[in-house]
Order: sequence, then C-alpha cells, then structure tokens
Amino acid sequence: MSETLRPVIGQAIAIFIALALGTVVIMVVGESPILVFATLLEGAFGSTERIAGTLLQTTPILVCGIAACISFRGGLFNIGVEGQLFMGGFAAVIVGIYLPLPAGLHMLVGILVAMLAGMAWIAIPAFFRARYNANEVVSTILSNYVAVLLTSYFTIFLFKRPGGWSETAPILPSAYLPELFSFSRLNWGLIIGLALAVAVQLYFRHTSRGYSVSIMGQNLKFAEYGGVDIKRHIFLVLLASGAVGGLAGGIEALGVHHRFMEGFAPGFGFDGVIAALLANGNPIGTIGAALFFGALRSGSLLLEVDTNASREIITVIQALIILSVSAQILMRRRGDSTAAERRWKF
Amino acid sequence: MSHAVELRGIVKRFGTFVANDCVDLVVKAGEIHAIVGENGAGKTTLMNVLFGLLQPDGGEILIDGKPIVVANPRAAIAAGLGMVHQHFKLVPSLTVAENVFLGMERGRAGFVDHKAQIAETERLSRDFGLKVDPTEQVGLLSVGIEQRIEILKVLARGARIIILDEPTAVLTPQESRELFQTLRGFVAQGMTVIFITHHLEEVMAVSDTVTVLRLGRKVDTRPTADVTKNDLVQMMVGRSVSFDRRQREPSTGGTVLSVKDLWCRDDRGLPAVRGVSFDVRAGEVVGIAGVAGNGQTELAEVLSGLRPASHGTFRIHGEDLTAASPRRIRDTGVAHVPGDRVVRGVDRQSSIAANILMGRQDTPPWARGSLIDWAVVRERSSEMMERFDVRASGPDALVKSLSGGNMQKVVLAREFSHDADFLLVDQPTRGVDIGATESIHNEIMRQRADGRAILLISVQLDELIALADRILVMFNGLIMGELPGDSVSEEALGLLMAGVQTGPDRAAVA
Repeated sequence: MSETLRPVIGQAIAIFIALALGTVVIMVVGESPILVFATLLEGAFGSTERIAGTLLQTTPILVCGIAACISFRGGLFNIGVEGQLFMGGFAAVIVGIYLPLPAGLHMLVGILVAMLAGMAWIAIPAFFRARYNANEVVSTILSNYVAVLLTSYFTIFLFKRPGGWSETAPILPSAYLPELFSFSRLNWGLIIGLALAVAVQLYFRHTSRGYSVSIMGQNLKFAEYGGVDIKRHIFLVLLASGAVGGLAGGIEALGVHHRFMEGFAPGFGFDGVIAALLANGNPIGTIGAALFFGALRSGSLLLEVDTNASREIITVIQALIILSVSAQILMRRRGDSTAAERRWKF
Repeated sequence: MSHAVELRGIVKRFGTFVANDCVDLVVKAGEIHAIVGENGAGKTTLMNVLFGLLQPDGGEILIDGKPIVVANPRAAIAAGLGMVHQHFKLVPSLTVAENVFLGMERGRAGFVDHKAQIAETERLSRDFGLKVDPTEQVGLLSVGIEQRIEILKVLARGARIIILDEPTAVLTPQESRELFQTLRGFVAQGMTVIFITHHLEEVMAVSDTVTVLRLGRKVDTRPTADVTKNDLVQMMVGRSVSFDRRQREPSTGGTVLSVKDLWCRDDRGLPAVRGVSFDVRAGEVVGIAGVAGNGQTELAEVLSGLRPASHGTFRIHGEDLTAASPRRIRDTGVAHVPGDRVVRGVDRQSSIAANILMGRQDTPPWARGSLIDWAVVRERSSEMMERFDVRASGPDALVKSLSGGNMQKVVLAREFSHDADFLLVDQPTRGVDIGATESIHNEIMRQRADGRAILLISVQLDELIALADRILVMFNGLIMGELPGDSVSEEALGLLMAGVQTGPDRAAVA
C-alpha cells in the first residue's frame, strides 16, 4: 500500500466504525438510523442555503484545524485553539467597536489584532514549553477555560450592551468581513481558510523553516543534531498556531456575529483539533475533515426539527469518531518502531 | 551442585533484530553469577525473558531442574525468582514498609495491618543486613537506600533466586561495596544471585562465575577465578582482531581540535567524562577505543554541542566552542556521524533527499532565499548516492526502507560532503555488513588524505587498528593511555580497556 494512502484508508475505517456504532446508538434510542442519516444529509446539503449553512459551520472548524495542524507538524499539541479563538474573537470585537477606521482597513486591523490576541494567549504555554519543557497539552487545555470565562466576564461586567442578552454592542459596519452571498452569512472567512490551508501546506514543503519544523516534529533529536534551534522553533511554532487560532475568532466575530457574546463559538476549537487529527496534520486534508464536521453540525439542526432524535446524537457520533481515530492512531504508532521517539501525546 | 536456573537455547527477536540468539545459561544454586557484555549484547533481554517480562521465541527455562513456562512475572515470583530492575519502581509518597508490601498488603478484614508490615520489614532488614527504617517516607531517601527497599520487596515475596540489572550503575563506590556484602550474605544463606554489569572490576570482586554475552550470543561461562579482566574484554569485544592496517602517508597538518581537561555528566547526572585532554591534527585519524559505556558517546555529544560540558574546554582552529550550539559548531566546520544513527542520524519517515538536506536548508544552492530548491536537493542527493554507493530506488525513497548499511551511507554522504575540517565519527560501521564496512573505511581514509582531522570512536578494535594513526583508550571516563596505531598490541589495548594502566605514560587517576 502506498505510504500516503495508508493513513487515509485508516481514517476512513475509523469514521466507518464510528458511524456503525452511531447507528447502534440511534437504534437504542428508538429512531430509524436511515431516517436520521438521511435527515442529516438533507439538513447539510439539501439546498443552496443549507450548503452555505454547512460551509458557514465549516469555516471556523477549518481555521482552527489549520492552527492545530501547524502545531502537529512541529510535533507539538496545541489543544488550546478554543481559548485562542475566544480571545481573538473578543479582541476583534473591541477593535470593531472602539477603533473607528476606514472600511476595509478597519476589518484588516481587526483580523490582525485577533491574531495577536491568539498569539498572546499561547505565549505563556509556548514559553514554558520551549524553555522548561512544560507539557503544552496540559497548559493549553487549562488556558481554554481561562479564556472562555475571562471573555465571558468582560462581556457581562465591562462591555455589556444595555438590554437583556449577555453580549457586547455590535461592531461598526466598517469592520465587517464581507459576505459572499446575499442569502447567507457565509463570508470571506471561508476563502481565507482555504487559502491558508494551501499556504501552510506549501510553507512546510517549500521553505527552509518549514522543513526544519517538519523534521523537528518527526525526529526531534535528529533536528537538534542537524543544528535546528529547537527551543526557538518550538516557541515560534506554538505562536504561529495560536495566531491562527486567534484568526478563527476574528473571522467569527467580524464575519458572522458582528459582536461578542457568551458561548461565542461553542466547541469550534475542539472540532478543529479533531479535524486536524483526522487529517493526520495535513492542512489540505483538514479541509475535508472540517467539511465533514461542519456538515454534521448543520445537519443536526434539521435533525431536531424533523425527527425525535436529539441533536446530542451528533455529539455522541463525534465522540465515537474521536475514540476510533485515536485508537487507530495509537495502533499505527505501535506498528512503527520509532514511534516512541515522537512526542505526540494522547 | 544443582542448577538453580537453566536456560536452553533462548531466542528472542524484536522484528528482524535478534536480541538473544540461542543462548544457553546454567546458574548453579548458591553462587553469584555475573552476566557481562557491552550495551546491546542482550543481557537485560535475557533476564527479562527469565523473569517473564518478555516471552521467548524459542528455548526452554528450567528452575531447580524443573522445566516451567514463565508466562508473566507472577509466575516467576511463584517459582522463587525476584528481579531488581535498573530503574526503581517505588512510590515516593509511601513509607518503606508500605512499599515493600505494595500489592500484597498484610491485612485484617480489608484493612492494612501497618504494625505487621513494619515488624516484618524490620525482620527482613535484620536477617539480611539491609538497614532501613520501615516508617520513613521513600521520597526522602537516597538512591542507595531505595535499592535496599527494592531488594527487600523481592525478599518479602519469598525470592530465592535474585536477579539484579546493573545494580551498581546508580551507586557510589561505598554503596556498591555494601551491596556486594549483602549479596555475599545471600549466598551464605543458600540463595542464588544473578547480576548484570559491564564493569569488570565488579565481576572480579564479587562473582563466582561469569558469563559473557556478545551481540546476542553467549561467548562463554567461566569460573571467575580462572579468568582475568583482559580475558573478559577479549570475550566482550570479540577475539578475532585483524591487523590489516591501511597504507598511509604520515600526517603533517596543524592542530584542528584541541580538548583540554573536559568533563561532562551522563543522563543520570553522574560524571561520564572525567577530565580528558587530547589534540587531533589535520590529516590524522585519532581513534578512541574502549568498552562501550565508558564515556565515549558522551564525549562525542559534548564535541557536537548536544551535551553541555561541566568543566574544561574544546577548541576548533583555536576557537573556543565549549558552550556553543550545535548550529555554531557545524558552521565552524564540524561534521558528525552519530553513534546511534536511527535516533540521531536520520529521520526515518523522510526521504533520502530530505535527510541529506539537513544542516544546509538555509544554504545556497540548496535553498534560494528562504525557499528550498527541491530540484537541486534531489539532483545533488542523487550524485551523493552514487558517490557513496547508497543503494535505493532514488532520492525520494524513504530512509526507513533502507538497510542499516545504506542508512549509514546516507549519514556519511551528508556529513562528509559538508566540507568540514573536523569529522567526528562515532561507530561508523556498527550493524553494517562487510561490503559496506569496506567502502565506509575507504571513505574515511579518503577524507584523511584530503587533510581532514578525524576523531574515530569505535568499539571495534580491528577498525581502529586499520584506520587510526593513534589510539586513545577510554575507561570510566578517563583516557587510560595512548597507543601508536602502527605498533599496537592486542594485549596492551585490552589491559587499558580493562582499566589497568601500564607503562610510563600513566595518566593521573581522579
């Protein structure tokens, strides 16, 4: 079997097993699996609007997935994408409200600040990982909670819009990320995500630093021996990953919600990490994985309307996918004798 | 005397690697049996098979003359075996007594009977002369005492045959002496001790019988009284030393590498290199001989910037690089063929071209600006593959698909093409077949003729005798002596490798 095809087939088997187990769960709760899956498909791709809705859900998952890919390529595990997304989104909204600038420029500054915020949010875990080898999995997970609760606090106690909802005032229209079509909130974020996926893929393949980082991710000791400055590269890779996580938040804020609120982007960061895992750290493959998760999410909306199955079924199926993907990855690792040299930790 | 343990034709493979190749071992009841061999000779594997941690691919195990299947450590313990591992497995937050009885707590009605545990620990401690305070917390104790607790754990489980894996590696000399006394006490009480080591003086000091393993096979089992350290060295590194020396012009170059009183620690923080000084001149091959594990690898790591020196300096062309990064050392003109090519020398998941690129990914013509020119990388890689005789389908072949010899040639191709003035070459032909060894030796001599300064670290004496102009012998982190390459005798080398100093050039022992 070809070397590039093997992981793809493994992933496909993992998804198949998850869907099969999902079928069992659906039957246990007394629904028809055929009806549930048909409704899911209908809800995700049944009309132009629904396809746009699916792509709208896909966008943040894709961008978060690319953030995770960047860290995976360096052999690191940024699981704090969710937190970086919240910080980025919040920072973009603040710029959108309080920093009036000409249209276009305003949006660009908002996006840039979102990336800086994501970068700042990972800076501490990145520093401790690079300098003291403190496990980035733990520190980035923990930073998620702080980010979600901190932005929530700011929203409720400092920037709350007068009125009922826990949300900020809307941003100025000059900061809007333009929409692609009149019938959907789908916006340029999707194009940014797709372009970024291609750019990241090319970067790792064709630049000196991308090469150094890829090798570091595969065999740290070899990279160190070959003269790659490990600490510096670990720090920079995590910063870049955090910046893209922040970008995801900026896109959601300026392109979709035009404000910040509690529960701003539930679980997109985590879905992104899983999408990247499913794609084995390949940004192009992440496009497909993100689309899959986006379709599950948007299809599940119709599921609640048309059937008695709860939307939580989708959460169950997702969890099953995570389980089978991790199992599959672990089995693959065991097969490779140098796997122990890799520092991905699950 | 009856046989406490008998292993017959034990075979253990890991993939294609044969760790134990039909090993026979007879341990008589009531003796201290030392198992010696270089790193990777298969000592620990053999003991793990005996203790049920690994399942053999072939062979038989007899305990007290009865064949048994050791399916897991529990079966081994039931048969009267006990093993003290190299890395201790204690719970630091529990007391000594709690650790001793961990997993087999003495209790009444579901509650742990601490009093009984403490009393029994005290009894064991007294009976076997292993002084401990049963109520102390393990996390606060020294390594030597932790080892006593590990031994007590084994005794508490009723072991009569005790296996110790490199027990002295973590001990001070005093602690080692105490341990040996304890082991003597065990056999006096009719127990049997098997211990693994690569320190020959320990073998001579405490064992009754010694078995030498080499490359997964048993070389011999002899009464310790009948062998000398020198004999053991010969057995450990292989007797068939050939003296086919390569022809050469005398070297006349200036000093390239200068090492002064260099010290460093190993991964456990213990001194590994203890004050070595030497020079390597241009157009000269300086060999470093020694039984593996006497500081050679650590020395190479310091010289390539991968391990910090704790004292002393090394200079290349007069420039002090003691605290420099691997990048800076490379840029100054050092190429390094690492001892463990799979871990450090290559990235197995990448292509040959991507492996050859390492270290020059920022340098034209390999890269233009910050972009890698893969067309150039492939083309140059193909040229190098031809020159260094790397046999593979092409530069895009993955390194993990290559044989050990071809993998090593990829490393040499990359490192020897750096135009470095100093080549640090560690075990260049380990695990490499004879044909590839020949071509690797030719390449080293070609580099010498081109005026490179070469430090060749090898555990293979014939390799050093064939290639080196001078041979430095390392033992226990020290350079025991220097021998000229053209008139070296096997005896002189063997004595120095065993740590016996001879002649007037005797170095000061720290």
